[in-house]
Order: sequence, then C-alpha cells, then structure tokens
Amino acid sequence: MIEYPEIDRYASLDSPMHRFDPRAKVIAFLFLIFSIVLLNDLKLVLIGFIVSILFLIASKLPFHFVIQHLKGVSLFILPFLVIMPFTVKGNEIFSFYAIKVTYEGLRYGILVVLKAFSAVMLIFPMIATTKFETTLKALDKLKVPNILVQMLMFTYRYLFVFVNVFQRLLIAMESRGFKLGTSSYALRTIGNALGMLFVRSYERAERVYLAMRSRGYAGSQKTLVGFKMCTKDYVLAVFIIAFAVCLHIVCYAGVGVV
Amino acid sequence: MRKEAITIRNLCYTYPDGTKVLEDVSLEVYEGERIAIVGPNGAGKTTLLLHLNGILRGSDGQVDVFGKSVDKVKREEIIKDVGIVFQDPDDQLFMPTLFDDLAFGPINMGLKEDEVRERVEKTILSLGLMGYENRCPHHLSGGEKKKAALAAVMSMEPRILVLDEPTANLDPKSRAELIKIVKDLNEREGITVIMATHDVNAVPALADRVFVLNKRVIAEGTAQEIFSDGDLMNANNLGVPEVFKLFEVLRCFGYNCEELPLSIDEAIEHLTRTVEVNGGHIHLHIHEHTHDEVKKLRSKYEHH
Repeated sequence: MIEYPEIDRYASLDSPMHRFDPRAKVIAFLFLIFSIVLLNDLKLVLIGFIVSILFLIASKLPFHFVIQHLKGVSLFILPFLVIMPFTVKGNEIFSFYAIKVTYEGLRYGILVVLKAFSAVMLIFPMIATTKFETTLKALDKLKVPNILVQMLMFTYRYLFVFVNVFQRLLIAMESRGFKLGTSSYALRTIGNALGMLFVRSYERAERVYLAMRSRGYAGSQKTLVGFKMCTKDYVLAVFIIAFAVCLHIVCYAGVGVV
Repeated sequence: MRKEAITIRNLCYTYPDGTKVLEDVSLEVYEGERIAIVGPNGAGKTTLLLHLNGILRGSDGQVDVFGKSVDKVKREEIIKDVGIVFQDPDDQLFMPTLFDDLAFGPINMGLKEDEVRERVEKTILSLGLMGYENRCPHHLSGGEKKKAALAAVMSMEPRILVLDEPTANLDPKSRAELIKIVKDLNEREGITVIMATHDVNAVPALADRVFVLNKRVIAEGTAQEIFSDGDLMNANNLGVPEVFKLFEVLRCFGYNCEELPLSIDEAIEHLTRTVEVNGGHIHLHIHEHTHDEVKKLRSKYEHH
C-alpha cells in the first residue's frame, strides 16, 4: 500500500491546543517563536525552551510522532553544538595543540541549539494540532496574500497525487527488474522517472486549470469557514503573546544578563 | 416543439501543433435529452466537450447554448448552464476538502454564504455523500471520488450536464450506482445529459441518441440504429453491448427477432414477449447454415 506523508495524522485528537482557534493559534505561536529566536540571553532562552516543551506536552501529540520529526531536524541543528565551540574566538576553556575550545563558542552553540529546538517544538502545537487545510483557511482569514494560500493549498492537495504517481512509476520499474541503487544506470533511470513525473504534473496542471475555469475560477480561491473565537481563545492568545513580550522586557531590563 | 439546448455548427479545432482534432462538426442536442458520444481514442471527444462551455473556442464554427453563442456570452454565464465532469476526478477535486470543492462553483457564481451552504447540503444529500464533507480527496476511493466530482458540478445546478467517460475505472457496483444517479438526474430534474464514453454497455441505459465521432460526426441515431450497423462499428474501433451480441447468436439458431435487445431489461422484455407469442416456449434449432452464420458473426467482432 502506498504511504502518504501524514501531517494531519494527529490533528483530530482533543487537547487545549487542538481546541485553540486556528487563527489565534497561528498568530500567538508565531509571536512566541520569533520572540524566543530573537532572545540573546541563555537563561531566558532556557525558560522559552522549557515553556515550548510544556506546550508540546499540552498538545498531547504522541511522543514517537514528535521524535520522528525532530530526528530529521536534529541533523541540521546538532552540528552547531560541535562546530561553534571550536570556531568562535574568546576565553579558552582548554586547548589541544592548535584546537581551542572557547567559553563563548560553547555558549553560542547551546544558544543556537536551544532556540532552534524551541522553534521547531512550537511548530507542533501550531501546525500538527489542526488539519492543514484549516490552518490554510486561517491564513487566508488572516489576510495572507491569496495567491500564497492558493499555492499552499495546491501543494497540499497535489503532493499526495504526485507521491502516488511517482510510487506507481517506481513500482512499475521495479516489477520490470529495476533495482534502486546508486549506480550511474540507476540514477539515470530515476532521472528519467522524475522527468516523466514533471511532464505528467505539467499535463495535470493544465487539466486542473480547465476544470477550475469550468467552475468559474477567476483568479482567487474562496471558501467558507466557520471560525469562531471565544473567550478562552482570546485568553490563551493574550497569555502566550504577553509571555513572549515579557521575555524581551526582562531581557532589556538586564535582569538576567549572563 | 422541443427546445434546442446545444447547437454546434461547423466546428473545427486544430491543436497548436497543427493536428486537426475536429473537422466540421455539427450537431444539436435538445433539452432533456440524453446523448452519448462514442468514438475511438483520439477522436476528439474530450475536445468537443470542452467547447460546450466555452473553455476551448473553435477558430471556426459556432457553439450555441440555449440559443446564445458561447463566444459572445461571458463564461460566468455559460458555466451556470453547462457543467462538465472531467474524466479524472483528481483533476476535478482541487480543493482540500469535499465541502470546499462543492462550495467552489457556487461561490464563484456569486451566491451568498447561506445559499452556498444550502446548495452544498442539497447536493450532498441527493448524491448520498453524507459524512464525507470534511474528507480530503486523497482519502476517498475511486468510486467515491467520481461521485464527488459529479457533486462538485451538480452543486452549481447546471441545466446541461457534460460527462467525460463517467463509468471509466469504476468497479461494477460504483458503475451501476453512477449510471442510476445520472439517469435519476435526467428523469427527476430534466437535466440534459451529454456524455463521451467507451462503455458501450452503459450506452443503452444512458442515451436516447448516439453520435459516432471520429474527428467529424460519422453517424447519428438511436442506440439501436448505431449498434445494428456492423460496418460502422468496425470502422471506428467500437464494440456493441454483450446482450446485443448474444441475441445475434440466438438469431443464428433460429430465434426470431427484428430489433435486437441492447440491455438486460430489454432482453427480459423481448424474451417474455417471444415466449408468450409462441405458446409458452422458445424454439431454437441448428440448420446447415447455422454454423456458417455463427462463423460470420464471430469474424465480425474480431476487429480485423
């Protein structure tokens, strides 16, 4: 059976994060993400990191789902922890011949890693607790340019179709004796298959456009949504944004400067 | 006096690469009629259908919908009258959920929100898609997708329904269901139905008149007239319903009939009548010429 990339798999659970109005959710969490990323104080970032974990726990998303997605991201984030201590100049902690490990480097590395993980972990309660199409509709309601929302909608709708087409191509190739590998022959064949996929995508795009025009498409994609903000949505959104602002106030007040 | 729903006069269409797809096509469809367009692959069936709501415009020729030329009327006006259901539901269902897809047409028609919701609900009820409103297209089966694609067009309440290969790639149950839905729409709401198809077994149930298209209109007539013309069928890579073939075989064995039945329903009626006329039984026999006739019949359907 063909497996689809499932970003919506846990969107229908029930948690405070799932019940949060999608529009308020997107705004509040984006605010918090930017706030944490722009901090420059290790202690405050650590607080942000812990709060991110708390939000993640509050979203009740299964642990394995989160880990599965964090694994990929770690590949990009963790190298900073290794590289920074050796490359940033400052007070040496110890040196080994020409290689020096600095205190500032270590601090930077930890800072970057904590910020990055906080941001990624906040994406989960923001995106994975709502069906993706609902998030897109929320973006549309928040006056994100319609053309951008349309592009995201089409990506979301046709990603599955193209994954399906490509997997069928691969299966057809494998059933005629093709073996996936890194030989130049295999790579060339995959290249051909990808080319085929582009051609098919192009043809499909044309047919979809005809179908859209047949139903009156004139440049913008509209839909109906029944979003309703209630008191607890306002409270939660204000709380998150206030927290995000507070982090910076504390930072500028110099309370926790390391 | 029957009112003309669609009139096509001398329509020609050439692909940008110079291939001629339609040459001098003329036909008319009356209101409330059911039309099947049959023809080999690459005969221009889909191209013809795309002209019916002005999506493609012929460089030559004229297409009128309810007496108005599609070249002169705004497309927003035509699409209210003519709804096209495309062959591949994945082309047709481009919104994230079924509800959005059903609402897409009515919203573009400029209807108010409550009217849009009302139409979506009505369509969902009439096509039996209850509970699917919030499903994504990639979570629907092939049969459900096809029904959803039809629903996405029906929510616009067109007076003319155009279907491109409505029964292709469906399992027998979904196919039967779809045929019934289209039949009901025609009978209950008087919707004019035009479909392009290769499914000859569906034609008798779904068409009052059949056009054979192969770049130009080769022939026109009732299903009975068209399927009875063996040379016409062969020349255009077409087949006839299996029931029709079976009764041709029976005729070789001495079964007496003028008009051969095209569907199971017709066959039952036909057999009942023959049995009643012949005093309670049917008489079949083998003569010297029976074998020759059967042989001739077989070679006729081997598509040489």
